[in-house]
Amino acid sequence: MHSISFNLASTSPGTRVGTLTLVRPEGQTITIHTPGLITSTSRGVVPHLSRDHCQSTEAIRWANIPFETFLEQSPPIPTYQTGPHPLHKFLGYEPSRNLLSMSIRDPHDGREMPPNGQNHISAYCVRGVRKVTSSDWRSHVEKCKPDIVFAMSDIPFTPPPYSQKRITKSLERSAAWLVDMLRPSDSGTHEGEDLASQPNVMVHMAGGASIAARKAFAETLDEALYAKEAEVLKPLKHLNDGILGYVFDLIPLRLSLKTENTILDGAPAVEDDDLDQGNTTRPVRALIADFIPLLEASLAPLPQSKLRSVNSTSCPHEVLQFIRDIGIDLFDARWAQRAADIGVALDFKFPLGEEPLDTLQQAHGKRDIGHNLYDTRYAHDFSRLASCFLDGASAPDLAKACACAACSPSAPTSHISHSYIDSFAEVKGSTILPPYSRAYLHHLLHTHEMSSHTLLVMHNITVLDAFFAGIRSVLSQDNGKERFVTEVARFEKEYDEKLTVFDQARVLWAEVERARGKGRLAREKAKQNETTLGTAVELE
Amino acid sequence: MEFEILAKCPTTKARVARMKLPHGETMLPTFMPVATQAAIKGLTAQQVESLGITLMLNNTYHLNLRPGIKVLDEAGGAHKFQGWTKNLLTDSGGFQLVSLSKFTTITEEGALFESPFTGEPTMLTPEESISIQHSIGADIIMQLDDVVSSLTVGPRVEEAMERSVRWLDRCIAQHKRAGKEGTQNLFAIVQGGLDPALRDRCLGEMIKRKDGVAGYAIGGLSGGEEKDVFWRVIKQCADKLPEERPRYSMGIGFAEDLLVCVALGVDMADCVFPTRTARFGVALTFNGPLNLKLQKHNKDMGPIDENCPCPTCTSGTSRAMLHHIVTLETAAAHALTQHNIVFQAQLMGRARDAIMAGTFPDYLRTFFKTYFGGDGYPEWCVNALRSVGVDLLENMDAKVVPGDGAKWEYSDAP
Repeated sequence: MHSISFNLASTSPGTRVGTLTLVRPEGQTITIHTPGLITSTSRGVVPHLSRDHCQSTEAIRWANIPFETFLEQSPPIPTYQTGPHPLHKFLGYEPSRNLLSMSIRDPHDGREMPPNGQNHISAYCVRGVRKVTSSDWRSHVEKCKPDIVFAMSDIPFTPPPYSQKRITKSLERSAAWLVDMLRPSDSGTHEGEDLASQPNVMVHMAGGASIAARKAFAETLDEALYAKEAEVLKPLKHLNDGILGYVFDLIPLRLSLKTENTILDGAPAVEDDDLDQGNTTRPVRALIADFIPLLEASLAPLPQSKLRSVNSTSCPHEVLQFIRDIGIDLFDARWAQRAADIGVALDFKFPLGEEPLDTLQQAHGKRDIGHNLYDTRYAHDFSRLASCFLDGASAPDLAKACACAACSPSAPTSHISHSYIDSFAEVKGSTILPPYSRAYLHHLLHTHEMSSHTLLVMHNITVLDAFFAGIRSVLSQDNGKERFVTEVARFEKEYDEKLTVFDQARVLWAEVERARGKGRLAREKAKQNETTLGTAVELE
Repeated sequence: MEFEILAKCPTTKARVARMKLPHGETMLPTFMPVATQAAIKGLTAQQVESLGITLMLNNTYHLNLRPGIKVLDEAGGAHKFQGWTKNLLTDSGGFQLVSLSKFTTITEEGALFESPFTGEPTMLTPEESISIQHSIGADIIMQLDDVVSSLTVGPRVEEAMERSVRWLDRCIAQHKRAGKEGTQNLFAIVQGGLDPALRDRCLGEMIKRKDGVAGYAIGGLSGGEEKDVFWRVIKQCADKLPEERPRYSMGIGFAEDLLVCVALGVDMADCVFPTRTARFGVALTFNGPLNLKLQKHNKDMGPIDENCPCPTCTSGTSRAMLHHIVTLETAAAHALTQHNIVFQAQLMGRARDAIMAGTFPDYLRTFFKTYFGGDGYPEWCVNALRSVGVDLLENMDAKVVPGDGAKWEYSDAP
């Protein structure tokens, strides 16, 4: 019934390699190899990227759209868009190469929220909190037609701990809302409406930090449907039959875990400040061991064949552990995208190669996974962003180059002509230009030029994509599982899992921000009041 | 530099020219977007090039502070540093010294200012300005001039004008000494404030030095002077400057200002306005600027301008989507920056076509009618264009408004 299929070459943890294939009615096919990445978006866009950059970045295939930002208008504006792929069209993604999923909430937002209700959850937009009911969600999804939808789930964002009763309610509501989402469209009786137009549904695995509750929710998905539900969901026999895959959001899990641990040990398990909005790059570090039994409890009762995705990992080490220990297929790229905001150019590779690494070695002996380009050490460094990869202009084999627009910029193949006498040389094929240098990015960061983040986002997502390609290549070998375990150990030994470089970058980033606040911003603001509109706004 | 005039408007002083510089040809008249710190805000050099831009600006003052000459030398010049393969122009840094630094003192030797980083007194001489611009390596470089605000009156204006002439001599000498005449082109900057007599003297002196300069800029304007005075100074300079040299009007960016300047005989202009206003959510169109922050755009599924060839409009970005992200996501600034740069280029490109076709006066009339429509024509534009034989009000029953007449979407009022 789905236009999306997911096929695994092998299913045991540590060797899961799969292919997600979406075939559009128009005949276009999008293939996403797993393990792989999902690009995070903000207000519908990949932060810092114009549409042409978004399209030219090969690594951006699946993008997730948190819908809550659109709730500031009622009805939400994207629902006005017409055509076969309204969400793609409104946001500027290509149906031929981008797969779009839609979630109500930003999976990375852990802020405290008013309680959810029997029929609604609380979502957040710039104008405040909005209630979203299951039928609202269903209606938005039907109008926007994303390729994949995350069913509405009752995940509490009220202060923990959560009572047994609250957890039970969460399971019941989440299951009921899933039924709602899987129900054939009300307009299904209309001509031309068929099951193929039903969205592909992913479901959050409910149950919080309780192993028993997680197991119970998972079992619900695989129980035979009966009575009214069976009638409504015909021809589905189990909820699972209608589900493409399972998703785990680590942020709310971490909130629950923290409280559990506090109750057990009397001491908080993690630092509070990591949860602050401005400091979300690595919110769940060092807790992987705690997550693993919870994720296993959810997955154990369920078939191996469904897609599994995890949101809000914070470093490559965590990704490797989730793949090795549980067999997760997809991860959001949020941490790598966020690294671009704070001036870090990623420079790491899996499996480790032969080429010498030139990222900084921290005092504890491990190497950084990237370069803090705010650091003055890069002011005169004219090398390409990542030493792990070649750049397009100097690589004899493009496959060994970082394909991003910073490391392998292509000379434009077309130019807009503004008059009949404008003459642009005929361009045959694309020429790869020399890479942008660390020194240039260092300069852009210190002068607060937005182009720095643009180049870094494209680079970091591309490096992360290559990381996943490396993971798949190891897993696909004959002795994939052993090789993978060995390579993960090598990786962990070489690269700093504490992400010290991110902390250092954040400090310098904040300094430049502060310095800017005193001088240029004030001037720009004054200038704006003088010479342009009466619409004083922050510049960024 | 090769400079060849391809066509002249039979009515106005407008002309089309081909300017060949070391990094390719640029067709004039043209508008130059400003990449102050070696980047057009938020874009890459490849993106700017794909927009059909063949000449852009870097600011000497800023690049000299950061990344500094040492880095630029190591990089092999500003072109390589920022990945820009087309033509580049740098200003001399004089304007920023005066506009950005409160403590600048001008002496005959040069401009003495306080370093914004170290606070140390630093001297920028004409020779140094040229040397710095040699390190940057732009195709067109500007003389260091003694800049005074266009609102300044009294003997200081005359002093600044005369000193600018003396500094031009020092710049020419330095440029020759360095042997850069073959690869970089030095432009003089005409000063003299708003006083026609001073302007005339400056023009006379600088034209005498024609052999040492590749082109002329008209400086000391766009500082808040009356528009009706502004255009008269432009006209006076354009009329007297030698025909076989490009003429560059500094700091001009509003659409109506650009077309008036072109009609008066100007070939080049630059301004941060189109890229700056983009960051505040304003899209430029032939029907006037659109403020996308306004609620009235929030359900509009149409593009900014369906005839616009920019990536934002051709990819179908709706006004509603832009409204959703303006001033909240940098991607909105990028989308509007791309659009506004293309708008300016289209405005000038269509002017080139009209001049070539001999229909420039019609182009002017159509532009003003569409752009200002019922809001009224700025009186100064009507006056300026009448001076070159185009009557915007011919067979028209249009309103004329005094003042600068800039057109803005201020509010949500329908």
